[in-house]
Amino acid sequence: MNEKDIRKSQIKRTVFNVILYTFLVLVALFVIIPFYWMILTAIKSDFDLVVVPPKLFLKYNEIVFQNFADAFERAPFGRNMLNTLIVAGISTVGTLITTVFAAFAFARLNFKGRDLLFIVLIATMMIPGEIFVITNYSTVARLGWLGGNNIPQVYSQALLAMTLPFMTSVFYIFFLRQSFKRIPDELYFAAKVDGTSDFKYLWRIMVPIAKPTIITITILNAMGTWNAYIWPNLVTDNASFRLVTDGLRNAYSELGGRTIFNEQMAAALIITTPLLITFLLLKKYIMRGVSRSGIKG
Amino acid sequence: MEVKLQGITKIFVQKDKTEVVAVKSMDIVIPSGKLIGLLGPSGCGKSTTLYMIAGLHKPNEGRIFFGDEDVTDMAPEDRGIGLVFQNYALYPHMTVRQNIMFPLENIKVPKPEAVIRAQEMADLVGIGDLMDRKPKELSGGQQQRVAIARALVKKPRVLLLDEPLSNLDARLRLQTREEIKRIQRETGITTIFVTHDQEEAMSISDEIVLMELGVKQQVGIPQDVYDNPSNLFSAKFLGTPPINIFEAIIKSKKVVLAGNIIGKSKAEDQDVLVGIRPEGFEVDEKGSLKLTVDMVETIGRDTSLIMVDPTKKGETFRAIVDSQHRIKPGDVVKTNIRPEKMFVFNPNTGQLIN
Amino acid sequence: MLERQSNLKAWLYLAPALILLSIFIFYPLFNAFLISFFKDVVIEDMSTDGFAGIDNYSEVLRNGNFKNALVNTSVIVFVSVPLSVVIALFISVGLKSIKKLQGVFQTIFFLPYVTNAIAIGMAFAFIFHRDYGLLNTMMGWFGVDPINWIGAGATWGRAMTALLIFSIWGGLAFKILVFLSGLQGIDKQYYDAAKIDSAPRGRIFTKITIPLLSPMIAYVTITSFIGAFKVYTTVVGMFGASMGTSGNPRQMITVVGLVYSYIGDIGEGGTAASIAIILFLITLAFTGIQMQVSKKRVHY
Ligand SMILES: Nc1ncnc2c1ncn2[C@@H]1O[C@H](COP(=O)(O)OP(=O)(O)OP(=O)(O)O)[C@@H](O)[C@H]1O
Ligand SMILES: [Mg+2]
Repeated sequence: MNEKDIRKSQIKRTVFNVILYTFLVLVALFVIIPFYWMILTAIKSDFDLVVVPPKLFLKYNEIVFQNFADAFERAPFGRNMLNTLIVAGISTVGTLITTVFAAFAFARLNFKGRDLLFIVLIATMMIPGEIFVITNYSTVARLGWLGGNNIPQVYSQALLAMTLPFMTSVFYIFFLRQSFKRIPDELYFAAKVDGTSDFKYLWRIMVPIAKPTIITITILNAMGTWNAYIWPNLVTDNASFRLVTDGLRNAYSELGGRTIFNEQMAAALIITTPLLITFLLLKKYIMRGVSRSGIKG
Repeated sequence: MEVKLQGITKIFVQKDKTEVVAVKSMDIVIPSGKLIGLLGPSGCGKSTTLYMIAGLHKPNEGRIFFGDEDVTDMAPEDRGIGLVFQNYALYPHMTVRQNIMFPLENIKVPKPEAVIRAQEMADLVGIGDLMDRKPKELSGGQQQRVAIARALVKKPRVLLLDEPLSNLDARLRLQTREEIKRIQRETGITTIFVTHDQEEAMSISDEIVLMELGVKQQVGIPQDVYDNPSNLFSAKFLGTPPINIFEAIIKSKKVVLAGNIIGKSKAEDQDVLVGIRPEGFEVDEKGSLKLTVDMVETIGRDTSLIMVDPTKKGETFRAIVDSQHRIKPGDVVKTNIRPEKMFVFNPNTGQLIN
Repeated sequence: MLERQSNLKAWLYLAPALILLSIFIFYPLFNAFLISFFKDVVIEDMSTDGFAGIDNYSEVLRNGNFKNALVNTSVIVFVSVPLSVVIALFISVGLKSIKKLQGVFQTIFFLPYVTNAIAIGMAFAFIFHRDYGLLNTMMGWFGVDPINWIGAGATWGRAMTALLIFSIWGGLAFKILVFLSGLQGIDKQYYDAAKIDSAPRGRIFTKITIPLLSPMIAYVTITSFIGAFKVYTTVVGMFGASMGTSGNPRQMITVVGLVYSYIGDIGEGGTAASIAIILFLITLAFTGIQMQVSKKRVHY
């Protein structure tokens, strides 16, 4: 091993690093470009939209915001966002209540059939959701929540239809149970000695300790509602009852060959921005939650 | 292959930007073909030193030489070293054979030759019949031998062992320690052996390097370091039971302990610390130092006397004497101090005073 | 764990979740199996024209739409999943080995996970636009003539290519994140040992990283396959509810897409259910095979 060999292996390492960074930058561009394209198109004027070849950058004075106004005019996105927040709020609170109780029973209480029931629940996680959707659609229809012949659906029915099936989640029960299980038994015994009831112990001790998990569940559930398309799209036809995602898709379906892509991108941007902001603010919780729980999007 | 460290310093910058000086201005020369024990308490920078020799850490200052060659900037894979990690780091998904052959495949040794060399090396360390097992199917001692075999198989220029025996039980530790010594003699590879167990270092090493807080304290043949500690740390660190330390004074070239003259010194009058090895007490009718016996433990041919410390209230210390003396608890014995077992230190610097 | 059993109390705590699960999971599961054997099931009121035996199933299997949907779905499953797993693997290993900008890259790579498939699908659709799209513009720099990716009259191959690119884009984030956390869990000592053993990068990757990451790889691959069999929203995002190019609806329809279109048709509940169940069985069989394979290959 001499000077020359050392030089050679140093050069090799430098070359490798250059290639590696180039690769990562290229992938990063691949990931970012759709966002850039969305933003760029959203602020293009109708004229710039159809310039060939398309402009890849806009000058300051070429930027227009008309598209956002048009988008809000075409579909009630403000209303849709409000609906989404309401639905997310209701279903998150509902989910937390039912899953905290159930997870507590599985983690802390001893009852006949516990392990069997737990396995049965876990097994249902493998079944594709479409199988449930068919009957669930029928269930909400028969409850009259979709409206009937000539009877229009009312808002509270739409809300019920959109939230009730998602008021619990086997996955979150499982996720919470894991967190609860990590709490040492001694805490429970100490609380028992002090005469604390199970109910009080659950809400005063276990829930605060499992707070990170609960925050993660809240965020993931809210983001899930924001991105939900299939079910909300099935259970309401009324544009002002819709959630953002199906609102967006329905506003711009079947437009034929007409090019209002700038308005469409403005609308897409309107509903993407809150998500991105939420993500950047709560990055830590989201990434930790996803990597720990391995939830598939 | 001689290994030479010149003024090696390693500073770790932690996440909160605070700096940890793990190794400070180390100079060591390790003669070719010798086994050197790198000895010091936990956290003193032994692993760090070893990793710098291996090239896994880059020193902030100083140079490292293998023979005449400066390897400071050389990547670990180019240094031609074997390293046995503190917890072996055997690849868990490979069999013993695959583990041992891995370094050979990397340097493109032809497969048939690699198989033969791996088998030879496995036989040398005594695991030749375990070749198809996975690491987790082996005992700690067996894993340790696999790690040694993997380190040796590529005929490294230098072999580095990082506390390789710390995970073994006491009996296995003694046995493998002899084995490492034997393998090292047979292969003649310059070897650096890290340990915090002074007895282990003393028994296995040709020379020991004593470290504390990232600083080299003393280097030498184990018995020499034991017999001539150059400072308080060396004196305290070597020897079981450990050396006894007393506050004393030097007055008119005499060492005075609790009013008794126990030896001579050439130094000026001053306060000092006196270290006396347990075996340095000689029971003698005409002895100058009177001590009260608190407890007596007889183990084999030696008798341990737990004595009341004449300089500190409520403290005791241990002396080892011949069991021919019949001594009971509560007795007052007169002792002489063997001059070669007594060391006088400056209480502020810890350095030896002649 | 308390030794004493507290049956009544436990069931009370479980009741809210169990009631909902019974209504929206257990009953629907049972019901789907049931109606898949009945004629002309009207989903809204579950009325039927009587027992049909396996007619629904045999009709579905003969149905050309189903074949199309199955082909589309299979292409997406067997191209986008392996590709994105491999790409994600390289990205995460590369990301792990750099020192600067790791956090920035990680955030960027995770973005697709938190975005809305419908919204970003629309952006992709415009990227693939023949005249005003970014892709054709960029390919034009290299002298390639504009390609009709997803416009009216686009060929299946081109539309599928566009869809696959979008699927891979959307699938990377989750995989990278899981791989990164898996890599985090590999003891650094193995890499030190490999360096000492003079292993070149390529061999470290194939002999150390891949085997030690194999449980994660298996996990990600299996869940991604299961997810990809259910592909639907991605297609709707890019192609709209018609799931095809303009003038050629259903060109890109997937199996799940077909289920939803039958849910929308009156009297096709049995058909929808039988398709869903066939899909479930395919997924199940495939997952079973994969688990068998990974049992042999994965190092635990
Ligand atoms: N990567 C690092 N970052 C910061 N500080 C470190 C790092 N590695 C080691 N140190 C610090 O450097 C000092 C020396 O560590 P080293 O691992 O060399 O000790 P050691 O002598 O091998 O101890 P042990 O016998 O416990 O293995 C310690 O104080 C340790 O905390
Ligand atoms: Mg160490």
